[in-house]
Amino acid sequence: MTIQIERLTKIYNPDTDFPITAVGDVTVEIGQGEFVAVMGPSGSGKTTLLNMLGGIDRPTSGRVLIDGEDITALEDKELIGFRRDNIGFIFQDFSLLPVLTAKENVEFVMQLQGRSQRECEARAMELLTEVGLGDRADNVPGKLSGGQQQRVAVARALAPKPRFVLADEPTANLDAATTRGLLDIMQRLNEKEGTTFIFSTHDPRVIGRARRVIVFEDGKITEDRVQGEDRTE
Amino acid sequence: MIVTLAWRNVWRNKLRSSIMVAAMVFGLLGVVLMVGFIQAMTESMIENAIKYQTAHFQVHNPDFLINEELAAWLPGADDMANRLREMEGVGGVAVRQVIDGMVSSAASNRGVRINGVDMAEEVKVTDVAQSIIEGEPLPEEGRNPVMVSKRSGEKLNLRIGSKVVLTFSDVNGEVSGAAFRVSGFFDTPSSGFDEANVFVRRSDLVKYTGLEEAHEVVIRFTDGENLEQHRPTVEGIVGDVGGERGKVRDWGEVQPLLAAMMGSLDISNMITIVIFVLAMGFGIVNVMLMSVFERTREFGVLISVGMTGKKVLGLIVLESLMLGGVGGLLGLVVGMILITITGKLGMPIGAVAEGMGFYGVDTVLYPRVPISTYLIMMAMILLTSLLASLYPARQILKKRPSEALAEKH
Ligand SMILES: Nc1ncnc2c1ncn2[C@@H]1O[C@H](COP(=O)(O)OP(=O)(O)O)[C@@H](O)[C@H]1O
Ligand SMILES: [Mg+2]
Repeated sequence: MTIQIERLTKIYNPDTDFPITAVGDVTVEIGQGEFVAVMGPSGSGKTTLLNMLGGIDRPTSGRVLIDGEDITALEDKELIGFRRDNIGFIFQDFSLLPVLTAKENVEFVMQLQGRSQRECEARAMELLTEVGLGDRADNVPGKLSGGQQQRVAVARALAPKPRFVLADEPTANLDAATTRGLLDIMQRLNEKEGTTFIFSTHDPRVIGRARRVIVFEDGKITEDRVQGEDRTE
Repeated sequence: MIVTLAWRNVWRNKLRSSIMVAAMVFGLLGVVLMVGFIQAMTESMIENAIKYQTAHFQVHNPDFLINEELAAWLPGADDMANRLREMEGVGGVAVRQVIDGMVSSAASNRGVRINGVDMAEEVKVTDVAQSIIEGEPLPEEGRNPVMVSKRSGEKLNLRIGSKVVLTFSDVNGEVSGAAFRVSGFFDTPSSGFDEANVFVRRSDLVKYTGLEEAHEVVIRFTDGENLEQHRPTVEGIVGDVGGERGKVRDWGEVQPLLAAMMGSLDISNMITIVIFVLAMGFGIVNVMLMSVFERTREFGVLISVGMTGKKVLGLIVLESLMLGGVGGLLGLVVGMILITITGKLGMPIGAVAEGMGFYGVDTVLYPRVPISTYLIMMAMILLTSLLASLYPARQILKKRPSEALAEKH
């Protein structure tokens, strides 16, 4: 799996006196199984970039090719199906459905895919156990801590076996210890399931855990480095 | 899953949804009671009119209908009646000579319709004699008995045995009259009817009008349902005996106002229901708008992870249907229970009855709502709930997922 970003540009309010170039002419390639951090200060365009990668926002110009398929050319409807089957999303505020239990949240996207209840349940339990919440499967998000909720969100993102996972500042609402725990889990799943992870952050402590860091400033890549993993397990 | 999700979403804001449901229950209760009450009132009016006044069919000389004069008698009235009595399902056939005149006592006088009747047959056709509260119906024996209503009795200051003078013009157009003795006071539910009618023996009236013939033949069937199927037979017999001179009218034609009321009952019920359902619809739109807008971000997430617009629409519609459905079902069931209870026990209408008495409404009503009305109401509530969800759903679906995600909520 490869993601090719070609000359991707997003300009907000293009026809006004103050157009904002949130992402400007970005070209970059991300390969199978990578664990990439997009790092940059607030307002640098990380969310905008990830949204376009995830097909929930459209670029002003440029293309996003996933395994050669230009997703920016897809119709809205096709894009929804594409997202459902190929992309896992993790949000800063966890964004679980509050009325569903942890297990039901993880099953949800699989059910949208039309998988059998038995298959959904098995996969949900497998993933919840993987993120260390096998015993909390029947709790609603309100009964879980922030860190636990974000682990459920990781399980939800991975449940439909996506080609890659996009996480926009997944640890921004978590404390240091919880952040570490979550990154451990993300990293383990990245290795175990071979799923590509792309996450944004402006927290320098998180950067250390990424194997590749794309530094983003004012909508442009200023640095793209591969670093040795400093995690010891 | 979507069904579970919708149901749990409805009860997410328990207070808001409960208030909406409670508003619907109270509103529906009012509507159901009102519909049941009006239904009962109209039915009571019609039943009483048929029971005490019109019976089911009446036959007159068409001229009499234009101008109620003595000369416009109905040819062959008694033969007609004899043959009609042999018809299947006929409960009674009365033959009356009627004439407008005046009843006078020492105290006062008033204009009335004087009905010359044969008591033995009259009791099978109308219940006027059965409504007697003092005295007795016209006896076979005795000189010139008259039945007046309790109301007229009070106004004319009469007692049983009091003497009154009835005056009218006879067959030659001369003023004629005679003294009658009060045999009984009747009291039907309609004060209008009571004040305008007195009853004497037909044989007595004949003596003073000098006319042997009668003016109306009144038919009551044992069963008031499906009256229209009897009409051809009745008309056949009337035509056979009276030719062109006998016009058959059913109770609705005799009392067109009542027939119109009954005819407009469904419409007036429908208007009441539609107004309620509309008000409820706006309530639901409001609740759904709030509920959907405060979840804008959540819908953004749902769409991002791959929920199609159709499914999001389905979810919102389902939530609205569930909310409206619960309120509607609860309201209708409670209404149904209340209608059943008041329908059994009766609902005294006291002071209202006084005002409605002219039209012959009973003082105790038995509200009734046809099952079909409940079903129509439920269907309309569900339809309105569905429509009410479309606007909020559209507002959400208009947003791009990235926009929805950027919302605070
Ligand atoms: N919907 C929008 N309309 C206008 N400007 C926007 C919008 N979304 C983001 N921006 C602007 O684009 C720039 C990049 O924003 P964003 O992608 O959210 O950055 P980050 O996620 O790195 O904080 C910022 O200057 C922001 O103000
Ligand atoms: Mg951001």
